[in-house]
Amino acid sequence: MRPVLVGAVLYDPKVSVIWDIIREFFEANGCPIDVVFYTNYEMQVDALLQGHIDIAWNSPLAWLEAQRGSKGACRAIAMRDTDRDRVSHLVVRAGGPVRRLEDLRGCNVAVGAKDSPQGTLIPLGMLARHGLLPGKDFQVRRFDVLVGKHGDHVGGELDAFRCLDQGEADACAMLDLNWDSWCKDGTIPLRKYEVLATSEKFDHCVFTVRNDFSPALEKQWLDVLFSMSYDNPEHQRMMDMEGLKEWKPGRLSGFGPLQEAAEKLGFWEQPRR
Amino acid sequence: MEPAGEFVWDVRVAATATNVAHVFVRKHQFDVGVPLSFDREEERATALETALGALGAEIVVGLRRVARKHRLVVDDVEATVQARLRNALVYLGVIGEEGDPGIRQVRIRVYVTTAAPAAAVERVWQEVLATSPLICTFRHAVDLELTYKIIL
Repeated sequence: MRPVLVGAVLYDPKVSVIWDIIREFFEANGCPIDVVFYTNYEMQVDALLQGHIDIAWNSPLAWLEAQRGSKGACRAIAMRDTDRDRVSHLVVRAGGPVRRLEDLRGCNVAVGAKDSPQGTLIPLGMLARHGLLPGKDFQVRRFDVLVGKHGDHVGGELDAFRCLDQGEADACAMLDLNWDSWCKDGTIPLRKYEVLATSEKFDHCVFTVRNDFSPALEKQWLDVLFSMSYDNPEHQRMMDMEGLKEWKPGRLSGFGPLQEAAEKLGFWEQPRR
Repeated sequence: MEPAGEFVWDVRVAATATNVAHVFVRKHQFDVGVPLSFDREEERATALETALGALGAEIVVGLRRVARKHRLVVDDVEATVQARLRNALVYLGVIGEEGDPGIRQVRIRVYVTTAAPAAAVERVWQEVLATSPLICTFRHAVDLELTYKIIL
């Protein structure tokens, strides 16, 4: 049996450790994989659509790009439990002048990288839905950390928060998981900041295949993936690093908010870098 | 041709498994793991860590030896060695990454516990730097930052 070729984007060399564990597990379970690392999602999506890899571990934006590039000929086959039902928050100073979204008119909003679904596109899409257009009704302070990696690196969101903290913005955007962990570790002093608004729920990363991927191979691969268990100490280590407790089947219901935001903001017409 | 009297150092290294090399040095042997790793749980010291360890060892042992030669009492010497690569992602074979994974910067901090006068320690320090083969080599090859602190 030939190895299944799985693509992943590395935002940090440490992520390679996660893939080493996954690769060994698949090897031990009779479904060998070769992992191909890419420096950005654009290259990975191209590789998937050109048949250089079988499966791509895609960001939500890369999933949409794969669907656009293949005219809908891709499938979402698996995701982490924590990829489901995420939200982004708009954060403001507690007790400050911004009490509702409308108050952001004429203000500065700090966001993450231009291609970050959670740190930029979905929060700006939420504002657009409420009639507030970036560059027209408010100014955007964007922190383009590692563009091409779709905000996988939290650096852009952290810089956006620091911008708010230094008084250079009136609000900033971040993923709920970052809000939770930064409140917990003290990065965000809770008494000073609060959530102004929360986006619709959306789904995050997803394993993506082309429609022509062998159903038998896909089943075998998914059977092995879904057999990973948080109760197994070695899997637990990988799952903690990757931020999940369980692998789930892929689903399409959670990409609407990002799709709507990308269209409203004209993202597809913009240069990627 | 070797200049007359030039000493040649040699070690023998065999890859005894996928992730381990066995090094034979005169009557000694030791293992070295993978070239480099990003895993805190990695089983063995990597080749990179071994090289950094050698660099640190050269300076702390060198400092003790030079201090002893000058009859300067040193109670303890310890060093931390940090290295940064030019592009670690190239080592992992990430498609689209450019450059090489060579060492870009090495930062060595040495802590010397001694009651000796600062000027005497400084003389020892300068002698160590001038006579350490690895330090002299790295100094020409990478951004090498060396500092020491006297602990009383």
